[in-house]
Amino acid sequence: MLGMTKRTFLALAASSALVAAAPAFAQDDGEIVMGGSLPLTGVFGFAGVAIEAGIQDYLKILNEDGGIAGRKVRLAYEDTGYQVDQSVAVFNKLTSQNRNIHLYYGDSTAFSRTINPELQRRGDILMAGASFATEINDPQNFASQFIAGPDYTEMFSILLEYIAREKPGAKLVFVNSDTEFGRDPIESSTARAKELGLEVVEQIITPPGAVDVSTEVLKLRRARPDYAIFHGYILAPLPEFMTQAKQLGLETKFMGTFWSMDSSIWDSVGEVADGFMGVMPYRYYYDEEEAPMLKRIREMRPTYQTTGYMQGFLTAMLMGEAARRTLDAGKELTSQNMKAALNSIEDFDTGGIVGVPISIPGNTVPVGRIYQYDAAAKQMKPVSDWISLKE
Amino acid sequence: MRIATANETYLADEALIRTRTQWAWTAVLAAGLAAAPFALNNYWLYLACLVAINVASATGLNILTGYTGLVSLGQGAFMAVGAYTVAWLDRNVGAPFLVNLFAGGLMAAAVGILVGLPSLRVKGLYLAIATIGASIILQFVFLNWTSVTGGSRGMNVAPASLFGTPLTTYFQLYFVLVPIAALMVLGAANLFRTRIGRAFIAIRDRDISAEVLGIPLLRYKLLSFAVSSFYAGVAGGMWAYFFRAVGPESFTIVESIFYLAAVIVGGMGSILGGIIGATFMTLVPEVLRFGVEAISPYVDNAGTLLSPVRTVVFGALIILFLVFEPQGLAEIVQRVRRFFHLWPFRK
Repeated sequence: MLGMTKRTFLALAASSALVAAAPAFAQDDGEIVMGGSLPLTGVFGFAGVAIEAGIQDYLKILNEDGGIAGRKVRLAYEDTGYQVDQSVAVFNKLTSQNRNIHLYYGDSTAFSRTINPELQRRGDILMAGASFATEINDPQNFASQFIAGPDYTEMFSILLEYIAREKPGAKLVFVNSDTEFGRDPIESSTARAKELGLEVVEQIITPPGAVDVSTEVLKLRRARPDYAIFHGYILAPLPEFMTQAKQLGLETKFMGTFWSMDSSIWDSVGEVADGFMGVMPYRYYYDEEEAPMLKRIREMRPTYQTTGYMQGFLTAMLMGEAARRTLDAGKELTSQNMKAALNSIEDFDTGGIVGVPISIPGNTVPVGRIYQYDAAAKQMKPVSDWISLKE
Repeated sequence: MRIATANETYLADEALIRTRTQWAWTAVLAAGLAAAPFALNNYWLYLACLVAINVASATGLNILTGYTGLVSLGQGAFMAVGAYTVAWLDRNVGAPFLVNLFAGGLMAAAVGILVGLPSLRVKGLYLAIATIGASIILQFVFLNWTSVTGGSRGMNVAPASLFGTPLTTYFQLYFVLVPIAALMVLGAANLFRTRIGRAFIAIRDRDISAEVLGIPLLRYKLLSFAVSSFYAGVAGGMWAYFFRAVGPESFTIVESIFYLAAVIVGGMGSILGGIIGATFMTLVPEVLRFGVEAISPYVDNAGTLLSPVRTVVFGALIILFLVFEPQGLAEIVQRVRRFFHLWPFRK
């Protein structure tokens, strides 16, 4: 057999096995690994790529400043295509390959829910992710997870507080996509609107991926609301709604939640997008107010970074802070200890990523600000102060 | 052509395993499957369980599409029926999980019979569209029958428990899911040694002739739908115990396409085809991850840059196999087997 002896063959086999296993041996015991099931392809791919960049940049800053208690932090991530079975596969792959995974970024509500029992069982990972689902804001059942921002109900509450201040007794219409994402805050927010003296005159549910919205626009016309709050969409069918509403001469102001708030997605919409408002838990890349961390980001990346980037950046920052506080207290990096450390965060300065000092009393950071799209400047401009839901 | 395999009875002629060599290889396979969990890490165990679930469902679809010739794009919805039934029973009745799985299968079979009714009038692509219609109706039910299905949020499922031990790790689940899937595959293989199975094949080859031969089309077409949906229901139930959460977005039309693709890529009308197809479709995207991993030291930011390439390569592989092996991957295995029948006397 090619003149190969049994001994040579065995030696070759052993060495190739070693090469294959090399990554496992190359692991540095001192490092802390942040795992990531990231949606780099698929419908949510645009966000996944930005989130990855945000996390990587924060970890770079963190490691340049000496890491966490002298330990470097590394992001180990893989693509999920925004599919739950793949997200779980990535979780298992990364946790099998990396011994020191203590932090994790998940890509969807379904993944957060599916992996929750496993996180509880393991007890050594603190997780956050791209989902702002109200369901996750439950410190008892989702004890190992948090949201680096307000949940969807809280986003609605911030919008409603703003409306109540601007136009007491305003008439509202909620427009939601017929998905889990879309339906999330309807019930709780209708109740909250009532408390604030606002009237929800119509609730419109659109089928997922709906393009023709003329029937829904007619409902809007009948209701003639002061504000229409959209949730469960990224962009479509918002521009269509806004175009048709303008043609019908409606004065309604259109609002959205976090995933609709990136200014780059509105650039291509043009003039119709002017005046679109929504809730944003973080600052924009181009915000001019004093923010040392934003300055640093702009130095690292001279071109515009999307809202997904900011979300990834802040998530990594809060996870890092939780791990740092745990290690500083001489405790082990368990989910429980890290979560307790996270909850000890009070009036924390994010370097301007969020405009006010933040606290994390439960599973969320219940702070946000209303921004409005300026089509001429192609930027979102703040129209309110930071609104904190902390009583 | 194999020699020295003369059989003296019809039973021996129909046997699934006929030679000593086949027995030996079957024993090796069984031993390998039993020993695998002790050698695999959590990631591969997870994939093994997922493959088992997908093999069970793909085998079910193969009975309907591959053997009976009825194209269905409703397999995902039937799985969802099984998964929801299991989740509901687990929460409200608390019966043992094997009973729940069986009930999930029966419920899916009942729904399958209903969905199969149009198959008496329509065939081919028309039937595929009819099954899509049924999936959309079922999806609507899952989303809006909130008191039973949990609405858009879905339901959480408590871990399956065997002899008082909750099955929470993939190691434990492997020993339940793989044997169930193996039993189901064995059942399907045996089905085609019976009158029912042969009737399915007759309907696939020419339904009018089948009817002339005395096969009642109504009964057998619906039976095929029932068996296939039963498989999907049990697979969906296993899925529910595996992922421990079921929602309306768990089983979309994409899942149904996945299983149809698995059956076509693996080989329609071949039990081995269903197994290989489901394994291929589940594992190839994962194996390609290692390709990305191998290249990552040489490419900056490889994870982000190469992930779309991985998706494209997966798609291209499917097309290539369809072009060069239209009979499915199972045909490659058969060719290898034929080669070794006469090896080393003929190359």
